[in-house]
Amino acid sequence: MKRFLKSLLAKYILIILIALFLFQAAYITIVIVFFNLMGDPDSPGNGQESYDEIEENWHQEASQIISEDTIAHVFEEWQEVYPNASMFWVDGDGVLNLQSNLQENLPDEWNVTYTAQFLKNHYDEDPFTVVAFVGGHEEEGFIVFQLPRDMLKSEGQRLNEEYGWTIVILTIGVVFLFIFLSLWFFRGIRKRLVHLQEAMEIRDTDGLPILIEEKKQDEIGDLEKSFNRMVQELRESREREQEEEQLRKELIANLSHDLRTPLTKINAQAYTLQKMDLPTEAKRSLKLTSTSIEDVDRLIENLMSYTLLMASKYRKDLKEINIIRFLRQYLAAWYPVFEKEEFEVDIDIEAFEQNKWEIDPLWFSRILDNLLQNVLRHATDGKYIAVWTESTEHYDAIVVTDKGKGMQVDTEQKGAGIGLSIVDMMVKGMHLDWEIDSTEKGTTIKIIRMKRAGN
Amino acid sequence: MAKTLYIEDEKEIGQWVTEDLTGRGHDVTWLTSGNQLEQYLNNIDLAILDIMLPGLDGFSIGKRIKKANQDTPIVMLSARSAVEDKLEGLSFADDYVTKPFHPDELAARVDALLRRFQKEEGILEIRHLQIDTKSLIIINKQTEKEILLTGKQYQLFQYFLRHLNQILTKEQLYEGVWGERFMEGDKTLMVHIRYLREKIEENPAKPTIIETIRGIGYRVKK
Repeated sequence: MKRFLKSLLAKYILIILIALFLFQAAYITIVIVFFNLMGDPDSPGNGQESYDEIEENWHQEASQIISEDTIAHVFEEWQEVYPNASMFWVDGDGVLNLQSNLQENLPDEWNVTYTAQFLKNHYDEDPFTVVAFVGGHEEEGFIVFQLPRDMLKSEGQRLNEEYGWTIVILTIGVVFLFIFLSLWFFRGIRKRLVHLQEAMEIRDTDGLPILIEEKKQDEIGDLEKSFNRMVQELRESREREQEEEQLRKELIANLSHDLRTPLTKINAQAYTLQKMDLPTEAKRSLKLTSTSIEDVDRLIENLMSYTLLMASKYRKDLKEINIIRFLRQYLAAWYPVFEKEEFEVDIDIEAFEQNKWEIDPLWFSRILDNLLQNVLRHATDGKYIAVWTESTEHYDAIVVTDKGKGMQVDTEQKGAGIGLSIVDMMVKGMHLDWEIDSTEKGTTIKIIRMKRAGN
Repeated sequence: MAKTLYIEDEKEIGQWVTEDLTGRGHDVTWLTSGNQLEQYLNNIDLAILDIMLPGLDGFSIGKRIKKANQDTPIVMLSARSAVEDKLEGLSFADDYVTKPFHPDELAARVDALLRRFQKEEGILEIRHLQIDTKSLIIINKQTEKEILLTGKQYQLFQYFLRHLNQILTKEQLYEGVWGERFMEGDKTLMVHIRYLREKIEENPAKPTIIETIRGIGYRVKK
């Protein structure tokens, strides 16, 4: 019940009820104030009396009259109270004796016929006419009081005429009040809904919606509550996912760490042995051991990267990099390695039209690492590596070429496959393209950035 | 002799690296954990740190060392190779070497760092030149005469010596010596290298001290 009282439905019902009450109250008031008064035309006003009282008083005044002077006096008194009234006396001889403010054309001599005619004409007509015998006896004649009926309209009728417009205005006012209240009510709802919608659109730094303030305990309040619950659930699920991701990463990192530690120990032993005075055969074996250790190390690294890439969990941070500058510095680190292996190194890096590439430098290094390691591992026969830039109308490219025996012949080293898969995923992950052309005379790999319109 | 602090909990690896570096002329103190770190904090020229250690991990130890002395170069030496680990390591350390590694590589990186932080003392000999790395007096051994350089040539040569055996790109050299952003096509650096070669090379047409690495930059090799 408490909840219902706080609901929007309850509020709306309240508005409707208020409106209905106001309509009813207005009509009842109107009925009481106006029609009640109009329905009672005898109600008094301005010190004047109702028809019945006039009639009664007139009769009473008439019965108390004793002389002609008294009649004149009565006429004077009544004329003060009813200035519009007309009065006259017809005495016992049928002569129009005394008159006051007489409007009608009346004969001086009244016979029985005319008297009956007069009474007949004025019974319950306008003007309101009262006839009373003087002193209570027909011998003294009779006095007549006449008053135009509109002089004695009821209070209600007069009010209706004077203030009728207020009824209309009040009615319109009530209608407008109802419209205003309804609008005000719906405006409030609309405002809250719009506000809610805006609040729902706001995203936190982690891309999730933020909690919104729960203001009232009504239907919209329930909606806000549900939304907050949903956000909470989303957050929890995101946290769980992140925890899982963290566990997964930790697992992979720990696994690779645990694999590499014994590898380092083997390497240490091999190195120590190599320093000793050993037969050539044994030295050759140790050299092979070292090479194998390096291969296994690279495989572990690639496997780790591959797993993370497949699960889209490999950290990527794209930024605008001057690719030419980056490439030169990168190759400066690799040059000594090729130099040591007595490769012919041919580097020709020319600035592109657009040197800013949107890449993750670590990813790009990883791609080139894999390509150059492949050259070092599988194309040693050629003793040649060239890195250069190529620019055409449609694309800019970085080209790596060797003079090895090509990929197809290379059946022993399947590990190169995973290295190139990583290259493929990373190149595409940075919205670049790549091409590989491998023959028995060498391999050429291009990392391509297509030129877009306006670039 | 540079004093090197090496922290590694794996006995076999620790012993091997200690012996190798000692053999190369380093004064190595090997600890198996960071527990006694305080004793050595102010008395080392360089630190080599494993990451996965009992007690304090390598990251925390490294940060402590850097806090105590910003000028102590640190090499992280770990089997952890995830990008996140490398990024965290390199946020304070100066180099990150992953296991398994070749001792020559580790030694080269240690030497490079010592040079960069100018912890190495004594006389450097590069072919016909004898250079005092502290005072930077250059003597031509064949003529036994001192070679005098102008300010910029001096700075340029010192930059090469600090990055001995490293290939330096034109951008790196220009920005390192002039402190301004290199503009593609600027000939200033080439002109200065030509003057420098005229002073230090036996035959400036066939330089042996400052090598040109075609397509990349220049290098001074020991």
